[in-house]
Amino acid sequence: MGLLTNLHRKVIAMGLVPKFLKQLPKVAKLLMLISLIMIAIIPMDGQYRRTYISENALMPSQAYSYFRESEWNIVRGYRSQIEEFFKNNVTAQERNLEVESWLQDFGIKTSIYHNEVHQDTLYGILHTPRGDGTEAIVLSIPWYNGDGEFNVGGAALGIGLLRYFSRWPVWSKNIIIVFSENPRDSLRAWVEAYHTSLDLTGGSIEAAINIDYASNSDFLDYVEIYYDGLNGELPNLDLLNVAIKITQHEGMKVSLNGQPKDTIDDNGYFPRLRTMLLGIRDSTFAGVKKTHGNEAFSGWRIQAVTLKACGDEGNIDITTFGRVPEAIFRAVNNLLEKFHQSFFFYLILAPKNFVSISSYLPSAVIISVVYATFSLDALVNTPFGSPIFFNKESLVSLVILSITLVASYLLSQLFIYATKPELLIGFNILLTLIPFLIKKPLSFFIEPLTYRIRVFGYLYMSLALTSLLVINFPLAFMMGILSFPMTLVQTEQSKVLSNKSTALKNMLCITLSNPFISILIISNIVDSELQYLDVFYGLISAWKDLSCWTWFVICIGWFPAWLLITMSTVRSSRVNTVNTSKKQQ
Amino acid sequence: MSNSITTFVLQGLLLITGLVIATDESLSNTETKDINDQKFRTIDTGIQFPYEERLNVRPLPHNHLLSSFEFQMNSEPFFPSDSSSNFDKYDHYTIFPKAIEPLLRRTDVRQLHLRFTRGFWDSEEWGRLPHDGFKSGGSGVELWALIEGNSKKDAYKKWKSLANSLSGSFCASINFIDLSKTNYPVFSFNPQERENEGIPLFNSTNNLYLMHASLANEPICTENLTPLLKLLPSKGKSGISSLLDGHKLFDSIWHNMAIDITTQCVNDDSYSNSGECFYEMEANVDVVAHIPSILARNKNPIPKPLGGDDLHCDLSKPYDAYQCFPSPETSEISFSLSDIFGKNISGSNDLSFTHSRICASISENWLATIKVDDGLFGTDDNCFDLTENRNYDIYMESGSSNKVARNDDVPIYVSRSLTGYGQDHGGLRTVFSNPTLEPVRLSYYESLPWFMRIYLSTLKMEVTSDIYQNLTFNDIVESQYYMPAIDRKRSTQLEFIMTIPANCTISLTYEFDKALLHFTEYPPDANHGFEIESLIITILESAPYQLRTATLLLYLSTPDFSMPYNVIIISSTIMGLIFGTLYNLITKRMVTMDEAEKILATRSIKYKVMMLKQRILSKLGF
Repeated sequence: MGLLTNLHRKVIAMGLVPKFLKQLPKVAKLLMLISLIMIAIIPMDGQYRRTYISENALMPSQAYSYFRESEWNIVRGYRSQIEEFFKNNVTAQERNLEVESWLQDFGIKTSIYHNEVHQDTLYGILHTPRGDGTEAIVLSIPWYNGDGEFNVGGAALGIGLLRYFSRWPVWSKNIIIVFSENPRDSLRAWVEAYHTSLDLTGGSIEAAINIDYASNSDFLDYVEIYYDGLNGELPNLDLLNVAIKITQHEGMKVSLNGQPKDTIDDNGYFPRLRTMLLGIRDSTFAGVKKTHGNEAFSGWRIQAVTLKACGDEGNIDITTFGRVPEAIFRAVNNLLEKFHQSFFFYLILAPKNFVSISSYLPSAVIISVVYATFSLDALVNTPFGSPIFFNKESLVSLVILSITLVASYLLSQLFIYATKPELLIGFNILLTLIPFLIKKPLSFFIEPLTYRIRVFGYLYMSLALTSLLVINFPLAFMMGILSFPMTLVQTEQSKVLSNKSTALKNMLCITLSNPFISILIISNIVDSELQYLDVFYGLISAWKDLSCWTWFVICIGWFPAWLLITMSTVRSSRVNTVNTSKKQQ
Repeated sequence: MSNSITTFVLQGLLLITGLVIATDESLSNTETKDINDQKFRTIDTGIQFPYEERLNVRPLPHNHLLSSFEFQMNSEPFFPSDSSSNFDKYDHYTIFPKAIEPLLRRTDVRQLHLRFTRGFWDSEEWGRLPHDGFKSGGSGVELWALIEGNSKKDAYKKWKSLANSLSGSFCASINFIDLSKTNYPVFSFNPQERENEGIPLFNSTNNLYLMHASLANEPICTENLTPLLKLLPSKGKSGISSLLDGHKLFDSIWHNMAIDITTQCVNDDSYSNSGECFYEMEANVDVVAHIPSILARNKNPIPKPLGGDDLHCDLSKPYDAYQCFPSPETSEISFSLSDIFGKNISGSNDLSFTHSRICASISENWLATIKVDDGLFGTDDNCFDLTENRNYDIYMESGSSNKVARNDDVPIYVSRSLTGYGQDHGGLRTVFSNPTLEPVRLSYYESLPWFMRIYLSTLKMEVTSDIYQNLTFNDIVESQYYMPAIDRKRSTQLEFIMTIPANCTISLTYEFDKALLHFTEYPPDANHGFEIESLIITILESAPYQLRTATLLLYLSTPDFSMPYNVIIISSTIMGLIFGTLYNLITKRMVTMDEAEKILATRSIKYKVMMLKQRILSKLGF
């Protein structure tokens, strides 16, 4: 204590506190830099960890996989029939009925879930002898994959696998096979119905494996594994590790986060950084961009991954690909408890490298501190002397904040019913121009109030980021970085008026940090799947089809803060000219 | 020890002389007379005991085979009025298991039912359960008993003692049955039957208490079968029980072991305690096996891919050396019981009035023959008596195995599932589907653990058939019984008597909250979840039938069990900090900055050295 007392005394003696307070914007910018550096050093050697199987019971690839030899003939047999469906343009209903009869031939209890909006889904349950029927593993095969291609190889493989599974006496969890029309809304609708209204159920689902092999070839090149859940959820790292380990054990290359084939083997700082950043991107836009099936299972404590066979030429055959789900099922089958041993929050740097939440969370925390610092700055560094927090301006700002919150909520709801991205962007460009267009100072807009609005704007942003960062780090991190330009906005009227470039800079910062404009720009830059205005349709569809909250996080978490900051730049009257007791909204 | 030696010696004596001393000639009841008469009917092999065993094999659709083993035995008669201090009294166990009878007497059990069941009974394909479901339980262990006691408390004490003893005898966790798992069924388990049968009270001031409990997460395995075999007089060494082998029995799709013990008294007036009584025990083992997989596993224990020549392809679809659309399962099948059970039947049992009997319930397109040593013999009724001490086997074959002697259809299908999202609340959904053209009246018995806090106010009924759209809950439920749970002391008990209209599907849903458990209340495999015992449905009218739904797995929010240590560390740190600060405040003197600087100035080493120097210099006189 003595040491601290001395230090405290020295600090006071040297008058560091006021000096520090004066430098708050610089401190905040420094913090921002530190946060970025902290993320950037994660892929450096010594900062990340090698993956490992935490749950001993899993024992991936410890049992020999027998899905080979003549099983290939059977897969081909099924495939030739499924190809017929596609060639003859068989309706979904007929196709489901036909496949249902195939499944019943080897003792699967089947049912078709009818849904007029999201299409019918065929599913079947293999009641297994070793279990008590309370738990299940799902093998999910969308008829059409995320790209809209007919999943002919996947469907043949799925039926062949299930037939093969039915001969094994080892299963202790029921096996459910699901054929939905697509991996997005119809699969999600089935998962939801499974937990609300289906009559034929097979116990709680522990894990789900999606198979995507949209080719009638016998061969494939490498395997892409998708694992992102919705709303920042990820499958337990153990399941992902098991999937990766088994795929590599069977001699296939694993690509994560859509890495192209020629970069799979790269292992160095930049490839790792790239994989990590792609992971952050994919997780931010999970549900917004095209889905692979694993997203549909997100929630309900179901761990899900998608195995996608890439390329139809290569030296890997379809049964080798089939041995991956086989071995994953064998591993998950060993579990006595739910997945709980390994991490639920992580970033993947390479198929066998990861960092856990403790490594990357601090940088998101620092970002939220940046906004809190700017808020403090707006409170103490005003030209109006001593900062008193509880005054009339605070109350007015709070009222304004509440109004913007309600307005943002209404906007978010309105946009769901009338999805017109052009209008939305146009409206927002208009909003960014308002500070420019208002030439005459508004009479009630006195300057201390604009500073106080700023305080609340940054504080709200910091609060939103803080509450988001643990559950959805990628989204919080993206939001924190993308809205950073709003901290560069100047409020002091004299400066803005006097300096044309400051005014221009203000407008640029406001435009760049507008949530909708910013999301539009970034999605077009980083994601080839989300071009032009796709991101808005994706956001709405993600909410409607998959109950993914990203749209509301942007509307209610980011937009009100932006509105407040924009408002603070509106030309205001000086304090000495206006009676402060006038306006209360 | 001495008791068993006595029994052994007595048995030996009886066998040698072939004589039995009639204990009481003045018996009035004919039934007991029959039993005793039979006992006197000696044949060359020796004395016969009231014991019967029987095996019923029944092919089920899709090449499944149901084998039902039935063992029935009676205890020696006894007089409940005999006081235990009577010096003439001796306990004599012949074939009735000595492990059981003293237990029944000690705990005043009048009826005991114990079930070990596991697996999936496909009632859509296979029809009714064996014995109309009255001999099978829910997944896991189920125990219910009718106990005589002077109060509920007394009866519970005996029930607890019974559970503990059975736990030891059957190597199962039955001792985990406690207050929070015990229920007193009201509508279910046929109380009417109890009145009609006239279950005896040994002491007319006492009452009978029906108690029920089930352990849904109990795995059933060999160590439960072995004790059961030990209860049989043949000990699994001869007769049909010699077929029972843990490896094969538990390698099945569905299996069930049941023990039912009832007390029978011969006196017309069951409330006087002078009559002669005996215990009747039935043991049942039912098992369903999928024949082709067992035959395939006998060939090769690992279901490896078949060779190209062994593939059965659908000839109506393209097939060649590369592709093969598999044909549906073959309907030509032949097997012997030794293939299914891995053993032959070693001889008959020599203890009973009747020979061990094996019956095959088959349709015309099936053939069943008995193989005695090396010869095959058939009978008209497909029943075979095992008369000699030789090796037997049953051989069965069919060219169209899917045509089987059809079991009657199930009067109702019931399934139950958990609904909802999240860790703090959920829902239960039960679907009743009556495929018949008659309304079905049934009783519904559900017991839920106390940590599922159900809200009956959320009970909703949904009808899928259009005709019954206006049906309300009150229309189908004629009486209900609800015993709310008490935390850690009592489970929720929910019973209805209801009628499901013909050709109608009804779903009942209600919601519940998940309670938080104490840290130590979690089982070692805390993240597995908690099994919710089956719902028990008993059809009350026309053809009685009992069925149970599958058990469910309920997840409660489970703490990370390393967390308490983190909490201890953090709270210790905070307490340390607080203590340090307070200690500082209390023990230190508060001074102003100026004073403090003065004091500091006099304390610095430099100052002290200077003072010392001065003092030395002054001593030296400079």
